[in-house]
Amino acid sequence: MLEEALEHLVKGIVEHPDEVRVRGRRIRTGRVLEVRVHPDDLGKVIGRGGRTAKALRTVVNALADGKFVRVDLLDLSEAR
Amino acid sequence: MTEAEAEQETARTPTATAPDLVALEQEGEIAADYIEGLLDIADIDGDIDMDVEGDRAVVSVVGVKGGDLTGKHGEVLEALQELTRLAVHRQTGERSRLMLDVGGFRERRRAELTKLGVKIADDVKRSGEPKPLQPMTPFERKIVHDAVAAAGLRSESEGEEPNRFVVVMPA
Repeated sequence: MLEEALEHLVKGIVEHPDEVRVRGRRIRTGRVLEVRVHPDDLGKVIGRGGRTAKALRTVVNALADGKFVRVDLLDLSEAR
Repeated sequence: MTEAEAEQETARTPTATAPDLVALEQEGEIAADYIEGLLDIADIDGDIDMDVEGDRAVVSVVGVKGGDLTGKHGEVLEALQELTRLAVHRQTGERSRLMLDVGGFRERRRAELTKLGVKIADDVKRSGEPKPLQPMTPFERKIVHDAVAAAGLRSESEGEEPNRFVVVMPA
């Protein structure tokens, strides 16, 4: 559900919604959601001073039932 | 210019021309779709009300069951409002001042903070000393500034976000 919620939130604010990919994985301390967007949209999802990134993290964590979720924002070409 | 004046300034400018009701209603529609999509995915029950207050669109989620879209101090609501404004901006190309409310949180907060502003103004009138308050969001500070001004005193904001706070000044 969290992946889908994050994907919805991000798709609504970018210029290239068809190029938004969200992948979840487990780490020792909880979960990571990796969001990949079109390179032109990376600045948009981060926002001035990281404002938009912070808003995305706040909402996702509010939906996560008290478990910590890390949200990483990447551009599509970044391999990981 | 104090923040209270600056906030009134930005509030006044758009009303110089009559608010474009059709555009504001369109903002509400876009916002409602964005929020409704999130509620569906997160399996949160709630109805969405749309309204226009003065020169801004207001979208309220009422009858909320499940989930916490407000946060202890409204930080989740602020974050969601921020994202919703961006979603509106993407579709209209215009900066949005849309207000989002969930479960009547803003209404309750408005009443509490107005009461607080009046009480602090009274304290400051009696003591003659400036009084700093707790850090608040811009929405909250605006309400306190307004309540203090209505009580006949002046207030300022100091500090940096997210720890910016109101100081009520003696006459």
